[in-house]
Amino acid sequence: MNLRPPRLAFSNLSLVVVLILSGCATEPNTAQLGAAEQEDFNDPFEDTNRAIFDFNQVVDRNVLVPIAKTYRTVLPDPVRDSLRDFLRNLREPLIFVNDAFQGDFERAGQTFARFALNSTVGLAGFVDVVGRWGQLPYHEEDLGVTFGVWGIPEGPYLVIPVLGPSNPRDLVGQVGEGFGDPWTVLVTGNPYNLRWIPFVRGGVSGIDQRSRYIETLADIERTSLDYYATIRSLYRQRRAALIRHEKEQNLPPPSSFAQRGGPSPSAATIGPAAQTVFVSEAATVPEVSR
Amino acid sequence: MTRRSALTAALIVIAVALAPSALAAADPAAVINHLGNRALEILGKNATPAQRAARFQELFREDFDVPGIARFVLGRYWKTATPEQQQEFVKLFEDYIALVYSAQLAAYSGETLKVTGSRPGPEGAIVASEIVRPTGGPPVKVEWHLTDRGGIYKINDVAVDGISMAVTQRSEFAAVIQRSGGQVQGLITQLREKTGNSAPR
Repeated sequence: MNLRPPRLAFSNLSLVVVLILSGCATEPNTAQLGAAEQEDFNDPFEDTNRAIFDFNQVVDRNVLVPIAKTYRTVLPDPVRDSLRDFLRNLREPLIFVNDAFQGDFERAGQTFARFALNSTVGLAGFVDVVGRWGQLPYHEEDLGVTFGVWGIPEGPYLVIPVLGPSNPRDLVGQVGEGFGDPWTVLVTGNPYNLRWIPFVRGGVSGIDQRSRYIETLADIERTSLDYYATIRSLYRQRRAALIRHEKEQNLPPPSSFAQRGGPSPSAATIGPAAQTVFVSEAATVPEVSR
Repeated sequence: MTRRSALTAALIVIAVALAPSALAAADPAAVINHLGNRALEILGKNATPAQRAARFQELFREDFDVPGIARFVLGRYWKTATPEQQQEFVKLFEDYIALVYSAQLAAYSGETLKVTGSRPGPEGAIVASEIVRPTGGPPVKVEWHLTDRGGIYKINDVAVDGISMAVTQRSEFAAVIQRSGGQVQGLITQLREKTGNSAPR
């Protein structure tokens, strides 16, 4: 029996196998590394942003979270959900306009139908009848995303006092929505002094959203090495994803953001996602319009 | 049989022999379906935090491309790290990921994972899925990026509602290193503190 050829074959073979296994496992992924070479935080005002972020954290810990916890304790889940549905319904006219601006007339039609039915059959929006029984769930939309769909760049990352992560594009969008919101126009354009209403609406909206992410955000803050950097990355990725989804019209619409009762599963799977969801919703709370 | 064809035959035998591991199935969708539901089941509310972290780490080692992910999240700093630092980083990274995600997974109770489709990805396949909530809320869209590692599918990224977990981690680590004067050691020290590990030896 000639042992030589098999042995040779075996040694060649093991070499090949080793190459397949270890070679593949350690070979740098060029696509990934290519992107990694240029880590771009897009954050030229980082020092200022970090200072504002720290300030926001103090406000969050000492004011927002205690209020949000009380809000969650005092109001039963169905009441909170009802209130959230009402606040969402108030946003539908703006969402309709944004859908149309983005050229998504199918969704604009859906938004219109939601608003018409929920405002009437849904008792002024307190019951989301269309979402619950009509298989047409709420979807978020804002002027910042619309600008992104139009190709306007985000500009540098910014942290806004109290409101949190943003950028010039999203900030202009928020201010624009503040001026364009029909409810704000309605309460400011009449002889009665109702200018306080948009502030109350914005405040309640913010507290409601914050109350849904108390544990998620606390977990992310506790486990992250650099909370600021994590939030920055989550915010920018989330905004980019929303714009990308709108551009790829064929894809199903992004899932609606806030969750119905209990800890959100995005919170559960990937904490960071839920966080961003919160961040992006918070970012759409204009000072005056909500 | 010539030596060459014997080699080919042996290679085929080896390739087949390697296949029947957990993630070797030809269908990436089936792989994710199995893994996702197993993860939801064993990492949910019934586990103690310690059990959860241990089980998560087990899943992570088995089904994820840990060396590839570790290299990716360190980005350009991988090359500047010494072999000792690289080795310690991979170990600390495993612990850190277990810490972060087992905390997040604790909120799970009764969710199921539904695979909705799969398509070829840059290095293997991308499997789209939804996490369906027992309460009937809107499902969360999760995309699994699989890479073909010698016939075995390994996960190298998870994207939730369009947010890549690998990119998020890389961005955070890069920020930590930058703020440590560009030294990978700064990140390693912080990871040690966070995960309760001491310096090796």
